[in-house]
Amino acid sequence: MAGQPCAVTPIPTEDAFNEHISSLPSSSLAVIYFHAPWAEPCKQMSTILSTLASTYSQTSPPSISFISLDAEEVSDISEQYDVSQVPLVVLQKDGKVVESVTGTDAGRVRSAVEKHVATEGAGKANKAGLPPAQTVTKPPPSQSAADSAVHTNGDTPSTTEQQSEEDLDERLGTLVKAAPVMLFMKGTPSAPQCGFSRQTVALLREKGVRYGFFNILADDDVRQGLKAFSDWPTFPQVYVGGELVGGLDILKEEFENDAEFLKDYSVHAQKA
Amino acid sequence: MAEAGSQTPMEDAMRRKIIEALAPASLEVFNDSDAHAHHKAMRGSTSRETHFRVFITSDAFKSKMQPARHRMVYALLKDEMATEGGIHALQLRTRTVEEDERAKAKEAA
Repeated sequence: MAGQPCAVTPIPTEDAFNEHISSLPSSSLAVIYFHAPWAEPCKQMSTILSTLASTYSQTSPPSISFISLDAEEVSDISEQYDVSQVPLVVLQKDGKVVESVTGTDAGRVRSAVEKHVATEGAGKANKAGLPPAQTVTKPPPSQSAADSAVHTNGDTPSTTEQQSEEDLDERLGTLVKAAPVMLFMKGTPSAPQCGFSRQTVALLREKGVRYGFFNILADDDVRQGLKAFSDWPTFPQVYVGGELVGGLDILKEEFENDAEFLKDYSVHAQKA
Repeated sequence: MAEAGSQTPMEDAMRRKIIEALAPASLEVFNDSDAHAHHKAMRGSTSRETHFRVFITSDAFKSKMQPARHRMVYALLKDEMATEGGIHALQLRTRTVEEDERAKAKEAA
């Protein structure tokens, strides 16, 4: 019985924060994400974190907990953690900060989390084969929220259209790296909306590959943008390490020709 | 060989373009559209040329990785794929002559 994937929980007040932290067992890793609604890079970090969170299953007691804080709303906590810039991800265990990561490098955040999360190798093995990583990536806050936000340095943004095209490109660049293996598909792994997407999910599951996914039917900007970004007209699209591998047919061929293909990302690799 | 009045304009165009550009050693085109005709994405479509499987063996693919090879074919068929009711899905197998021989030998073994 697979555990539910983790999500990033927003925490609105200092009291709620203190309560949550004290409820965590000392071996559990708290991933504390400080953000501000007006800071553009935070949109990317939000996506990166929710993708990363979803690759972890909820356990009881929790071995890892992802929370997000609006740095300006909980200013006392921000002071406590000496938050001088956002986005900032603080990793804490047993009340002690073990690492903090600034910037929007998905790789750095992921390695930091993996380094510190309690090893549950034994626990995971009991789950009869780790289910492939699942992502629920919500579309980012609407463009209107960004437009009405105050720009701290006083610069007026270039025409909205140009701005959103560049934003989209940047967003796609981050999205394709959100997980080491990313699947852009129609529907979700539990409810694929297209035969080729369904077969791709099945193939990845068969090989035990951990991956993040994005449902392109839920976001038309990404659906059309990615076709141009990837220079690839169809879905599903599989990205490995931020590089396009191709669609289902290429994926099948790669597995056929190379027994080691994606072995690094497979749960099977963990066997001694 | 006139295309006028052909029942399969998409397939004809595909063959013509691929042969012209890639001089393939072998070219197989399978029309899978019927298998998908009832799918949600195909609702409202009357075309019977929406889903294809195409196997191309050509040395034009030499020293190119798979995504690059597929992009070559996509580029040739850009118009057909962009049209309303045109090609919706394209499964490709793109091999060089050597790769194809190797694959056949493996199968026979």
